[in-house]
Amino acid sequence: MFVEYTWLVPLVPLLCFVIVGFFGKKMPHGGGPLVIFGALFAFVLSLLISYDFFTSDAYHNPGYVTSQIEWFSVGSFQMNVGYYIDSLACMMMLFASFISTLIFVYSIGYMHDEGAKRRRYFAQVSLFLTGMLGLAVSSNFLEMFVFWEIMGLCSYLLIGFWGFNHPKGDDASDSASSAAKKAFLVTRLGDVCLMGGMFVLLFEFGSLDYVTVFDTSMMAAVDPNMIMLGSLLIFGGVIGKSAQFPLLDWLPDAMAGPTTVSALIHAATMVKAGVYLVARCFPLFTQNPEVMLFVGVIGGITAFFAATMALNNMNIKKVLAYSTLSQLGYMFLALGAGGYMMALGMQSGDAALMAAGAIGYTAGCLHMVNHAFFKALLFLGSGSVIHATGTEDMREMGGLHSKMKITSITMLIGSLSIAGFPLFSGFWSKEIVLETAMHAGDYGVEGYLFTIMWILAIVTAFMTAFYMFRMWFMTFKGKSGHGAEHCHGESPKSMTIPLIILSVFAAALGCILLFGFDDYITIGIHAGHFQVGSGHGHGLAGWLEDIFLSMYTYLTIALVLIAIAVAYVMYNKASVNPGKFNKNGSSWLYKALTNRWWFPQLYDQIGWKLGNGVAKGVEFVDTQMIDGTVNALSSAVVGSGESLGKMQTGNVRDYAAIVMIGVVLLFVAILALFYFMGGL
Amino acid sequence: MIPIEVYLIFAAVLFAIGAYGVVVKNNTIVVLMCIELMLNAANINFIVFSAFTTDVLGQVFVIMSISVAAAEVAVGIAILLNAYKIKGTIEADGLASMRW
Repeated sequence: MFVEYTWLVPLVPLLCFVIVGFFGKKMPHGGGPLVIFGALFAFVLSLLISYDFFTSDAYHNPGYVTSQIEWFSVGSFQMNVGYYIDSLACMMMLFASFISTLIFVYSIGYMHDEGAKRRRYFAQVSLFLTGMLGLAVSSNFLEMFVFWEIMGLCSYLLIGFWGFNHPKGDDASDSASSAAKKAFLVTRLGDVCLMGGMFVLLFEFGSLDYVTVFDTSMMAAVDPNMIMLGSLLIFGGVIGKSAQFPLLDWLPDAMAGPTTVSALIHAATMVKAGVYLVARCFPLFTQNPEVMLFVGVIGGITAFFAATMALNNMNIKKVLAYSTLSQLGYMFLALGAGGYMMALGMQSGDAALMAAGAIGYTAGCLHMVNHAFFKALLFLGSGSVIHATGTEDMREMGGLHSKMKITSITMLIGSLSIAGFPLFSGFWSKEIVLETAMHAGDYGVEGYLFTIMWILAIVTAFMTAFYMFRMWFMTFKGKSGHGAEHCHGESPKSMTIPLIILSVFAAALGCILLFGFDDYITIGIHAGHFQVGSGHGHGLAGWLEDIFLSMYTYLTIALVLIAIAVAYVMYNKASVNPGKFNKNGSSWLYKALTNRWWFPQLYDQIGWKLGNGVAKGVEFVDTQMIDGTVNALSSAVVGSGESLGKMQTGNVRDYAAIVMIGVVLLFVAILALFYFMGGL
Repeated sequence: MIPIEVYLIFAAVLFAIGAYGVVVKNNTIVVLMCIELMLNAANINFIVFSAFTTDVLGQVFVIMSISVAAAEVAVGIAILLNAYKIKGTIEADGLASMRW
């Protein structure tokens, strides 16, 4: 019965956006409490909807609840608007609204000094949440795309938060506005692909409703090549939104926004939308193993490259940004590897292989949820540090542990979790991701690519542990930098309480989800259609057996421990100088990493060479052809008017003469007419 | 009886003289007089056709036309007086300020 009120979930934050946008100036804290209430309301309602849905019959058959009304129709195509609730949508709603609530509470403390600008901040984050929640509950691609674009807009506005009306107009605000533009334009490139994919689907299926498009009999009737084209185009949109290789460069720049916004973008919204879309389109993508192979390879490459770039970065937020990219890569690797096995299983009718593929889906979704919690925790923790020290450079921090105990310990929990330290949240999901990737390498002709990706992922796990603990040791241990001397103690309660709550989840959630709720995030084919949830999870013993009987698990654990030890030796005890390995920053590898493998330069080159040429051509058409036509018309009118104007001599007698000549001519003409017509 | 063509040719000649004067003369009073000539050429035509068709309507119209012409001359001369006050001349070439 609560499911019927799903439309309220995105609507309430939207209302908060409107109210705060108009009246925020008069509200306490720039409307913050109202926005928190909106997010909390959305969370409670999501909780009720989820409970309602999981206990209903619809959960087992057909696995979803949907309802929609007609929006508009074009020709024979009818577009609907409505909701589509299944396990995946429930999961997205729950974690997005919960984490957003905590981030908003934290913002009250973090944005305290911003004065009147808080109104804009709170209105925009509320709209951002609307975008994510709407995306999660949408019942068709078009509706989803609308919310997708709302998020794109909000990310632009919020990344550029310091860039507009900044009192100083310093370098920071310049980089904020250009980062916002970069984020907007790069994701736009993906969105064009997504839109193209939607056109392909609309053309082939005649509808964009999830129920129609994901129907197995419908998919069987459609040309598989067109499905492949549509899937790849949709994944193009995902690459832009989730900042995967090669469109990964906007996310590190997006750190120019407030830290809370980074937390929102990286944990609860925005980049998770891409993962959600792949998980949502899983039935479609699995029609072709090649598509899933592509997804997995892109994920693996991103995971590896992003992790390398985090290794030597000195900016605490950028390290976290790269780690997000890297973890997103893990999610796509899991979904890709799982989908690859599932697709092969569907082609050969091998039920065991399909079941193995379903684990990849579980791994990807589970890692998404776990990542949301520990990444929100890490970003909010780094925000707390930045708030206290006034710098983002880790070399100026150090020794903060004694001054900021709560921040330090919660950050440690987050770091352990993301590094995959045994029994923390991240450990479970990461192990399953790695296991799926390794498993997928055994099947199909191109399977060896997954073996390569698995090796990259293992190396990435090592690097993740290293750079996370490098960050933690540099920030909280070792010698105090001069930024740390400015530190005026622990952050206010509104900031530390969300940190504590998040750290509990970051430590334990993976375990709870995996051993209690794993049925909800399985995927399988029941009665001829794909169904998320109500499959049979492995259960407690199954997962423990899976994870701890595999020798590769111990390999990863060993690598993680070694990485932590290396970071400890280098950055806490400082008994090994890290400069020894990079010739004090002059080795080519170090430079490559500092320059982000020259990705920004590559973008610029493409932008200059290709974009400039295109722009020149467009400019030519605009100024020469379009403007030329208009200018020629107007100058013709002006010129003829000027020459005709000369006839106005002002002399009355000339006018009279002209009138008379005219009369005579008219008279002669009429006479001639009559004469030749023979009427006279 | 004098044939009708004679009257019509007389009226046409009168009209042509008036038109010539309007176009050629520089003195605006003469121009006004020439306009009167053209008007009266038209009046003659009215009278002639009225007499030859025994219809008095034409003569009635001429009386009205003459009275209107009298009023028009009054207005015209008033304008010329004012123009003289402002410009100091009534030459048509000197009153050519309404131009591009």
